[in-house]
This record gives sequence, C-alpha cells and structure tokens, in this order.
Amino acid sequence: MKVNDNCVGCGQCATFCKLDAIVVNAKAKMSEKCIECGICIAYCPVKAIEG
Amino acid sequence: MKAIIIGSGLGGLLSAASLSNSGYEVEVFERLPINGGRFTNIPYHGFQLSTGALHMIPHGPTGPLANLLEEIGADVEIVRIKPSAVIRIPRKKGDTNYSFGHKDILFEDFKTQFSLINRLKLIFYAISTRKNQPNEGSFADWCTKHIDQDWTNRIADSFFGWALSLRAADVPVEEGFEIIEKLYRHGGSGVPMGGCKGVIDALIDVVVRNGGSIHTSSEVTKILSDNGKATGVLVDDMEHKADLIISDIGHPFTAMMLDDDTAKTEIDRYSNIAKKLKPSAGVKICLTSDKPLIGHGGVLLTPYARRVNGINEVTNIDPSLAPPGKHLTMAHQCVEWKNIDHLEEEIDLGLKDLEEIFSGKEYEVLLVQSYSDGWPVNRSASGTDLKNITPIKGLYVVGDGAKGKGGIEVEGVALGVKDALQDILK
Repeated sequence: MKVNDNCVGCGQCATFCKLDAIVVNAKAKMSEKCIECGICIAYCPVKAIEG
Repeated sequence: MKAIIIGSGLGGLLSAASLSNSGYEVEVFERLPINGGRFTNIPYHGFQLSTGALHMIPHGPTGPLANLLEEIGADVEIVRIKPSAVIRIPRKKGDTNYSFGHKDILFEDFKTQFSLINRLKLIFYAISTRKNQPNEGSFADWCTKHIDQDWTNRIADSFFGWALSLRAADVPVEEGFEIIEKLYRHGGSGVPMGGCKGVIDALIDVVVRNGGSIHTSSEVTKILSDNGKATGVLVDDMEHKADLIISDIGHPFTAMMLDDDTAKTEIDRYSNIAKKLKPSAGVKICLTSDKPLIGHGGVLLTPYARRVNGINEVTNIDPSLAPPGKHLTMAHQCVEWKNIDHLEEEIDLGLKDLEEIFSGKEYEVLLVQSYSDGWPVNRSASGTDLKNITPIKGLYVVGDGAKGKGGIEVEGVALGVKDALQDILK
C-alpha cells in the first residue's frame, strides 16, 4: 500500500486495519505486517491510500 | 418532496432527521463505509476512540445541539459535567511551566490569576462588552489592548485552542465574545453517553423510523442542476433526482461538484470565495491508563504547556468508552497554520507536554491523530464561516464549514443546520 500526500495523519486507517500494520505519526505508514489486503483504502477520508 | 443529503456527518444527519420529520422523503449518500464523519466512534484495541471530536458537547444538555436533538426526537443522553473545566497552573507563582509541580484551579476562578487592577478592569469589561460587543481585530489584539498580562494570553490561547483549535490571535474578536456570551447563556460541557456515536446512532434511528434511507460507500460525484436550480446528484454514474440537496462536505468540495452553464459567473465567484476558507488544524493524542490521570469528567486546560491546550478523560463519565478497568484520556492541541508542515515536531512537543503534565503517572499512548486540510478540525476556522446558501437554488451547505455565529464546534454545526432549515421550511 502506498500513502500519498493527501494523508493528514488522522489514523482512521490504523483503527480499521485488522493486522495492526499501520503506524501513524503525522502521516500513516505501513509496517512489514501489511499484507496488502486493501481494507484501509475504503476507510481513508482523503483518498490517501493507493493499492 | 425529496431531499438528498451528501455526507452522513453530524450536519448531514441533523438535516436528514429534521427534514424527514417535516415530511421530506430523505436519502443520504455517504462516501465512507461508516456514518458520522468526524463525529463518531472508532473501536481500537477495545477503546472507543473517535474519528475527530473528543466525545464532548461544548454546552452540554442545554446548548444548541442538545436543543436541536430534542426537537428532532433523537434519543440520546447528554450528561453535564461538574466541574466543567479546571485550569492547571504551575505550583509556584512566577514559574512558566509545570516542571516544578502544579496545582489545579476551577475555571470560574481564572480571575484570581489577574493583577488587582486587571481584576477590576475585567468586572467592567464583563458588563460593558455584553452590551457593546467589540468588532474589530482579533481576540488577542483586544486582550493586549485592554487587559495586557501574560495570563490573559495564556488562558485565551488555551481556551480557544481547546474549543476551536485556533490561537486567540486567529479568532475574530466578535466571534470570541459571542462564544463567551453563549457560555454564560448555555453553560459548560457535557458528554453524550456512548460517545459521539451515541448521537449519530440516535439520528440514524429517526431517519430510518421516518422511512428515509442511508447508503454508505456511495460517493456523490456531481451535483446536477438546471437553470441555476438543483435537480439531483450523480452516484456511480446513476442519476438520483431531488427537489432539495443538502451538502455536508463543506463549501470548497461542494463548489467543485457544480457544473451549470446558466449560473457560471455565480459559481466561479462562489468557488473563489470557498477556496479562500482556511480550515483549522489540530492534533489529538489518545492515552490510556489504569488509574485516572485527571479524575473528573471536565476539561483540564493547560495554559502553561508548550502545545497541549486541554485534555479530557471521558471514562470518568462513561466507562464504556474503554475496556473494564482502563481509562481513555484525550489531549488536544491546536496546530498553527505555519506549523502544519512540521507536524512531527508539533506532536513531539505535545508528547513532552503530557510527560510534564502527568509527571509521575503511568500511561500509554494509544494513537496520535492529526487533522488538517481535507480532513481538518473545522473546514472553516470559527468566525469565518460562509452561510448555508449557495449560488444554486435548492442547494444548501451545512456542517463545520457553515457553522452558525458563536457556536463552538458541534454547537456551531447545530446552529448552522437550524439556520438552513429555517430558510428551507419557511
């Protein structure tokens, strides 16, 4: 998953990630736990996550 | 009559529920898979965190939002908090931070921190400004001119930072005094039982009970109009017709969805004004602890912190917002526009503040949430809101980009919705 410049760091993606694979500090970043399931894409309010 | 609502945030759902009560056939389209916008819960590790707001209603059970919810018939309990706010000051007079200890004073006692002469001035201004509200410059300018003391700036920045995510220098003085007037009139804050989602669920119940429908994961991509009058929206290339459209996505995004040759000049003008709106930015740091960090449900204002403006611990009112035996504490800090590009440093300063504010206490950081630009604290900084109307007839904007005068956050959303409804239903 790639995070683009739209990301404001609201953390919504992190809370819906079933694997706890997103770390948020000013911006979202996927950790090595990410399996590219793409669930976070739908929950991002600013369309910042790309598959 | 058919009404389509774009966005199921608080403003959208308040409008949807009211209109469905007034006999409108109501259909809500929400882009995300969840309802509530920046005013709902998100479960995280057993805690009910929030998408935005801090599980608090600024004027509690007697404010504009509570009144509107009651009018609508939404079944939600809002518990008034006592004390509504406490101010943390350094233990020793003259200290300018919390590193050598602190003490807490009630919000009502903020006056005791002024010099004798400024206390007298305050009594005079408390009466005179209620009659003649100042209307030029910022709240900070007014303070410097009338009650110039370090404390004035600290408490003003802390209060407006917490309430509006703005520094006092960015609050128009008129809006600042209107907010103080509303504090006198409506009283202090309350917690909705079940958190923000308690309110959202109650509104959804009303809409559904009245036969309305709410579609999640459904993005409106265009607002259709004919001869300057709204006719419907486009969702997944499907046309949905309506007599009335309410947009809860702010003025700039609403303007981007318009395309009407017959009203081109007006739409261009509207887009340009909408683009100039400056959203307010902020950071929320969510903490958890076994023992309470604050110990009451009121706001802890922190005027001597570097960045943190205020903190609440809602589990003292509604323990169901955290797993059994745990507390949920949320700190808010305003981010000045010039610092949005240095968010990581701003967050570090906030975390350092919390270490000092809660020195000697054990806690864990659950999540750090930042808000700006397209997902801000407020789509238009308080006091700069545009009204609800647009150049397209039958198209209104509600929500935190079209707040009513003097309304703090969701209170402003409620006031804005009331203004829009008055215009629509007249």
